[in-house]
Amino acid sequence: MLKIEHLTKIYGDKKAVDDLSLHIAPGEIYGFIGHNGAGKTTTIKACCGILQADSGKIYIDGTSVQENPLAAKAKIAYIPDNPDLYEFMTGIQFLNFIGDIFSVKPQTRQERIRKYADLFEITDDLAQPISAYSHGMKQKLAVISALLHEPKLLIMDEPFVGLDPKASHILKDLMRELCNNGGAIFFSTHVLEVAEKLCDKVAIIKNGKLIKSGTMEEVKGDASLENVFLELEGEQ
Amino acid sequence: MTKVLLKKQLMEVFSWLYQDKKNGKNRSKGGIIGFSVLYLALFFFLGFIFYITAKQLCAPLCEIGFGWLYFALMGLIAVALGVFGSVFNTFASLYQAKDNDLLLSMPVPTAKILIARLFGVYAIGLMYELIVMIPSVLVWFLNAKITVTGALFSLLAPFVLSIFVLTLSCILGYAVALFSSKLKRKNILTVFLSLVFLAAYYYLYSQAYKVLQSILQNPQRVGNSIKSILYPFYCMGRAAEGNVLSMLIFTAIMALLFVLVYLVLSHSFLKLATTDRGGAKVKYKEKKITAVNADNALLRKELKRFLGSPNYMLNCGLGIVFMIIGAVALIFKVEAVRGLISEMFTGYMQIVLMSATAAVCMITSMCIITAPSVSLEGKSLWILQVLPVTAYQALKAKLKLHLRLTLPSAIILTAAVEFVLKPDVKFGLLMPVTVAIFVLFMALVGLCCNLKMPNLTWTNEIVPIKQGMSVMISLFGGWAAVAVFGLLYFVVRKLISPFVFLVIATGILVIGSVALIRWLKTKGAEIFERL
Repeated sequence: MLKIEHLTKIYGDKKAVDDLSLHIAPGEIYGFIGHNGAGKTTTIKACCGILQADSGKIYIDGTSVQENPLAAKAKIAYIPDNPDLYEFMTGIQFLNFIGDIFSVKPQTRQERIRKYADLFEITDDLAQPISAYSHGMKQKLAVISALLHEPKLLIMDEPFVGLDPKASHILKDLMRELCNNGGAIFFSTHVLEVAEKLCDKVAIIKNGKLIKSGTMEEVKGDASLENVFLELEGEQ
Repeated sequence: MTKVLLKKQLMEVFSWLYQDKKNGKNRSKGGIIGFSVLYLALFFFLGFIFYITAKQLCAPLCEIGFGWLYFALMGLIAVALGVFGSVFNTFASLYQAKDNDLLLSMPVPTAKILIARLFGVYAIGLMYELIVMIPSVLVWFLNAKITVTGALFSLLAPFVLSIFVLTLSCILGYAVALFSSKLKRKNILTVFLSLVFLAAYYYLYSQAYKVLQSILQNPQRVGNSIKSILYPFYCMGRAAEGNVLSMLIFTAIMALLFVLVYLVLSHSFLKLATTDRGGAKVKYKEKKITAVNADNALLRKELKRFLGSPNYMLNCGLGIVFMIIGAVALIFKVEAVRGLISEMFTGYMQIVLMSATAAVCMITSMCIITAPSVSLEGKSLWILQVLPVTAYQALKAKLKLHLRLTLPSAIILTAAVEFVLKPDVKFGLLMPVTVAIFVLFMALVGLCCNLKMPNLTWTNEIVPIKQGMSVMISLFGGWAAVAVFGLLYFVVRKLISPFVFLVIATGILVIGSVALIRWLKTKGAEIFERL
């Protein structure tokens, strides 16, 4: 579903991402772990077409992000770590805007908005301007907007930050549901317990380089993910 | 503790002087000096305007023994300006200050927090009030017969008067905040009220001479009115003449007002400062969804941004209103304008028509909707970058909004001009075409400039709307473009007719527009993708 081949992104003298390759198959939840400034967000943004790679290729379901960005973007949804949404819109206006861009049919859109807004308990707030939303509510709205067009690949940067425990639980269920339906998820997190419980595969990045990746068993064996992560951080 | 709080409040009030609001960083010493000089120059410029008014009033009124009336009148103007300057900040700085929670969590008595806040409002009011009172006192010293107590009281009076500004600001600021929190269409109403205020300002400005004359012709009547209705101002005027009792009464009234305001505010301060007022909450009710295509969705988004921001509407779309007002005024004054033209420009009709087209173009360039439109994406730019739309589609939506809002009123104004000037068929057809192409060209200039000079890191939208370089270039660039064409015509006036020149100018604008569109589609789109 997502294939990253030898991705390199340079800022000035610094290689933010250095020859990184990853492959995420349909049905997989793939966790991306690394310290602050390791290159997680840069990799994620390059996958979404927000940042241009200096070298390397990125494919989404076989479509090149660099060569056919619109077709690639039509297959994904992205939730940033800090969802700066259009504050001049109400929640429902934002969801309809996203629905219009992805050409989601009105009836399907209505049903999905109803389903997800009820799940996240923000239905009553959809007529409120986004400027009046709390961080958590914005995060919930961003999640709903991401699920509105049933993306094949959901890319998320620290998706659980700001969500209350119930919303986090619902999001985890939705992530699994999307993968069970043939989709895939690529997300970064600092919460290693979440990654350990939720992910089928995990990749650890340090200073822009991929230092370990594979299934959870391959990466951690009998140890805890936290111990493995700290050990790898110390080794390199 | 009070001293520390007052110092903090003053730092907050004057933070614009030492802090760059664009990036939140402190200015360099040179920057602070430069800004201080700039603001002092502005202060002197505004002060000079009031100096002229003061000069016209002072000597004649002093001559007939109505010196106190002069001082009272200038005091009234100062209060109006002081309240205007501080009223919009009062509620926010009293009750919605960002550090309310911090201060309330510390061992600081609530009364001291309130006093520090009131001091901040007092300082802002005084700053505005002094723009009027410094030249007024200066003129007073130059024209009136000053006693020692009169000199002392006239120097003290502005500082006491500022308490009245504080009182009014507190009352009006609270009323404004209470009123606006209950409104649904707050943005549109803000724009409407701002326009009404602007119209009233220009009306009063145009009537200022008449008002001054009326005061000078009937000082007794005006004086009696002030004495009976605005007694504290009468006392202030008499105090400036050296009357000790009047100074005492004036000070006592101001002190009493302050005590009253303080008592009322201290009673409600804690409750209001810790209550999240918010707006009236609207509960979502499901409605039938009408889907639109991506291009229209982007256009709707741009329109919502425009209508969602009074700052954006007032600063970048004011020309739309001016064009409509201009069209209506032209139709109402049709005979007068025709008379003036036949009197002064007989035989020069083509030049009049060309100049009128240029004038309409200049007015249209007051609409600079595209100029801050890229910057306004700010931190939400990622949305457009991650959605399956091309960069050009996103930019085209910005362009379309500009054209759809500006073109109708530009064409209405052109039609009104044609109604008044009655051009021949060829000019009648050319004028709206030229205006429309000019509007397109300026919209493109604004958009391209903003792409080249974006500011996406703002924390207050007023920064890209008012201070952006693209805004400056668009605003003055339109006038400059018209001036350049005017100069060109002057050079070639003996070789070609105004009509032919206008055709050529329109052709140049078409070529310029095509070039800019091509740039937007290629280089501009690339820049947008990489922002």
